[in-house]
Amino acid sequence: MIHVKNLVKRYGELVALDHLSLDVREGEIFGLLGPNGSGKSTAINCILSLLSFDKGEVEIFGKTMAPDAYDLKRKIGVVMQNVAVFEELTVYENIDYFCGLYIRNREERRHLVEEAIHFVELDDFRKFYPKKLSGGLLRRLNIACGIAHKPKLIFLDEPTVAVDPQSRNKILEGIERLNEQGVTIVYTSHYMEEVEQICSRIVIMDKGRVIASGTKEELKAMITLGEKITVEVFSINEEQLSQLRTLPGIVSVEHIDRQLYIKSGKGSNNLEIVLDFLKKRQIGFGRIYSELPTLNDVFLEITGKQLRD
Amino acid sequence: MPVFNLCLKIFRRNWLAVFIYVAIFVAISVTIAITSVHDQSSGNGFTQQKAKIAFISEEKTPLTEGFRQELAKHADFVSIPDSKEQLQDALFFRQVTYVLRIPKGFTKNILDGGTMQIEKTIVPESVENAYIDIDVQQYWNLARLYVRHDPGLTQEQLTERLRQNLDGDTPVRMNVHEHAKTKDSFSMYYFNFLSYALSAILIMGISTVMIVFNKQDLRRRIFCSPSSPLKVNLQIILADLLFAAVALVALVGFCFLLDAKSFTTPNMPYFLVNAVAFTACITSLSFLVGNLLNNLSAMSGVCNILTLGPSFISGVFVPQEFLNDTVLKIASFTPTYWYVQANTKIAKLTDFDWQNLRPVFTSTLILLTFTAAFAALSLVVGKRKRLME
Ligand SMILES: Nc1ncnc2c1ncn2[C@@H]1O[C@H](COP(=O)(O)OP(=O)(O)OP(=O)(O)O)[C@@H](O)[C@H]1O
Ligand SMILES: [Mg+2]
Repeated sequence: MIHVKNLVKRYGELVALDHLSLDVREGEIFGLLGPNGSGKSTAINCILSLLSFDKGEVEIFGKTMAPDAYDLKRKIGVVMQNVAVFEELTVYENIDYFCGLYIRNREERRHLVEEAIHFVELDDFRKFYPKKLSGGLLRRLNIACGIAHKPKLIFLDEPTVAVDPQSRNKILEGIERLNEQGVTIVYTSHYMEEVEQICSRIVIMDKGRVIASGTKEELKAMITLGEKITVEVFSINEEQLSQLRTLPGIVSVEHIDRQLYIKSGKGSNNLEIVLDFLKKRQIGFGRIYSELPTLNDVFLEITGKQLRD
Repeated sequence: MPVFNLCLKIFRRNWLAVFIYVAIFVAISVTIAITSVHDQSSGNGFTQQKAKIAFISEEKTPLTEGFRQELAKHADFVSIPDSKEQLQDALFFRQVTYVLRIPKGFTKNILDGGTMQIEKTIVPESVENAYIDIDVQQYWNLARLYVRHDPGLTQEQLTERLRQNLDGDTPVRMNVHEHAKTKDSFSMYYFNFLSYALSAILIMGISTVMIVFNKQDLRRRIFCSPSSPLKVNLQIILADLLFAAVALVALVGFCFLLDAKSFTTPNMPYFLVNAVAFTACITSLSFLVGNLLNNLSAMSGVCNILTLGPSFISGVFVPQEFLNDTVLKIASFTPTYWYVQANTKIAKLTDFDWQNLRPVFTSTLILLTFTAAFAALSLVVGKRKRLME
């Protein structure tokens, strides 16, 4: 549905997009994950022809995207990272205005606007001016403005920044619902939990380049980390620690503040091995929990730095 | 036309700020109207202008009675006791502007072909007095003329002759003294002052809309949709022009309400043409301001500087003749100066021939040059701004 090949965008010396290539398939929720400044927004702006780029090609719906490709733009919805609404218009009027850029029929638009208001749950705020909305409500208005005209393809650039967890979940559910109705979605975020939760395929970006892509399972399979085990220990000495590190499957062990952070490779019985060891050495321990790797770990392993900064 | 409609909505949402200017403007205009109409009553309408005179006659003859009736056409008699002090006071307090005294034996002197004069005491520089002087001169010169040519006339016959002779020639004499009806008139002050209100309203309204639409995020968001930049910009311009036209019509409309009479003068069309040229100029300036400024908070300051500044130095509030040359030189770099110049010249027009109109058209042409310059600059600035994205 979207086909991007070797996109290069420079801001003077800075290469914001460095031969970026990606493909979005129809009907999926495509996640674009990367830390601040990795070029997610730049990529979206270039794909939408809002920014000129130095090299590369962009096709949407099988046609070359251009600033005047109005038939393509008509089928696309965009929610920008920066809230873009008119201060002079109320919630309702804003949604109606942006919807009106796509749909002329008044009656049809009225239904669509109502639906969008309901979708982002701004029913009680329809007469409010943007100034009177909290940051989270403003974000929701921004979303409503982008999706009211029922596009086939929606770009959402970090739509949930500053939205509280409850509303965020509602929005994510809403996006999944849209997707079930057949809408293709491109979703950027630096919250890996969100991306993990809803995206069927994910591209991880850093410094304008794609550093990994695939489903979340595929991404996690790419790295050596299998499991993260955290154990609360009451006392452990250096010798015991180094013995622990030599156990099969254990990749690293750190001891900070009576907590053992153990990383193990792939395999199913890592936790058992660790517990056996602690019991044999008669090391007292409290709470234990184990986690599967997250996208953050994927990012960390590939780039050597945390995704969150 | 969603963008066009939105622009109009933004204008409407900002009506309060605009309305404040209109309100101040109308209030001041009404004040000017009241004061200027007050002193206009003597200088403007020819039929009403009557001098208040104290008519003191030390004798009562048919001839002096005839004179009195003749004089009554152009003067209101105020009776003041014939004492020097009271007459002085009456002059000082403008109860009368002319004290006229026919000395004893005056009639006889005239009939005998003598040169005795009527005594007068006047308030200096009073326009109405001139008419009285003319009346006095005319009546008695004519009387002397008849007496010399026809010495056998009785006083009654002479009085009758004079009455017939002087009857009906009033309009002719009045025309001799006609000056432009709009000189120093309410309409001139109004149109001068209009430049202040108009520039305030237009710069506020138009640049607000421009700034809103020049916000990069909103621009980008709009261009995600299937609307072409050209059409969007045209719609904005169209809305701005409509706003400018409405503002101009409204302000001129107030002038009509306050002083409908001035719309019958031949000067009015020129005032209107000048105002239209000025509106075009300020509209163009507002585009430039809208393209240069990025945020609304800076706007009211800039708007004040751009409207009050030129108004002060160009003679909107204080007539140009009271401003010194350096100030006027600086002012001549503002369109307001040329607008006020043209207005002042238009107000004085009595003959609408090419020679008199040329300076007016020159000013208008300079206004149009300003318009083109501002428009060109704002195109350049607007383009640069978009290229920087
Ligand atoms: N107009 C611009 N001029 C110069 N550099 C820019 C401009 N816009 C973005 N950049 C740079 O391009 C790089 C990519 O920016 P971009 O906004 O695409 O990042 P992002 O992934 O969207 O980040 P975030 O998560 O913070 O939104 C950054 O280094 C940024 O500084
Ligand atoms: Mg971004």
